[in-house]
Amino acid sequence: MSTVLFEEPFATVPGSSPNDQPGHSEMKVLSCIIRPESLEAVKTALDQLQVVGGMTITDVRGFGRQKGQVEHYRGGEYTIRFIAKVRVDVVVRTEDADRVVAAVSNAVRTGRVGDGKIFVLDVRSAMRVRTGDRGVLAL
Amino acid sequence: MKLITCIVRPDKLDAVTDALDKQHIVGMTVTDVRGFGRQKGQVEHYRGGEYTIRFIPKVKIDLVVQDGDTEAVIATISKVARTGNIGDGKIFVSDVQNAVRIRTGEKGTSAL
Repeated sequence: MSTVLFEEPFATVPGSSPNDQPGHSEMKVLSCIIRPESLEAVKTALDQLQVVGGMTITDVRGFGRQKGQVEHYRGGEYTIRFIAKVRVDVVVRTEDADRVVAAVSNAVRTGRVGDGKIFVLDVRSAMRVRTGDRGVLAL
Repeated sequence: MKLITCIVRPDKLDAVTDALDKQHIVGMTVTDVRGFGRQKGQVEHYRGGEYTIRFIPKVKIDLVVQDGDTEAVIATISKVARTGNIGDGKIFVSDVQNAVRIRTGEKGTSAL
């Protein structure tokens, strides 16, 4: 294949483009920590929005304000510190981020403790490895 | 807000959790990961053969804290997770633009 994929440096000089200013990136990653059983609901909701091309799922464990949960088993009391959760990472265009946050939180909200959190972080760069597409084209 | 991502030895997870508890850190997410650093894994000897284990199991701890707490949390983790041997791990810090507590819809630092 003769196409030159990498004619520009992948990392620009920090601060040289508006994309590098905190909060002004073209893309955001939404890192959503949710209940494992809510994963299907998130998938359905994001499919309907049609702005999310892909997602990455990780099985994680963790705790929040309640510091885990207390279980009773055969008369004994056990504290489960780290509760099983699923983390869904999606990278979206900045202008779509609020809509996607709303869709995910509506899809997974039960109103009970443990619904999870969504964190929004800047994505400075992205590349589709197969074609070398950069930035939002890579989404 | 900052996201602090620490890659630590799996056996240090409890120590880190306990230490952060004392600093009133109210949540973290833990993932089993594997990876290597400068040493590119470790060499094991087993029944006369020499094997290189490229990817060593580690635990990744993600926690999001207010900007003002970042340095204290980093200091705590690096103190507790340090053994002085190769493989103690690393801590990365990134900016977080927003956070949402799904149950209530609270945004920003009040969602932490």
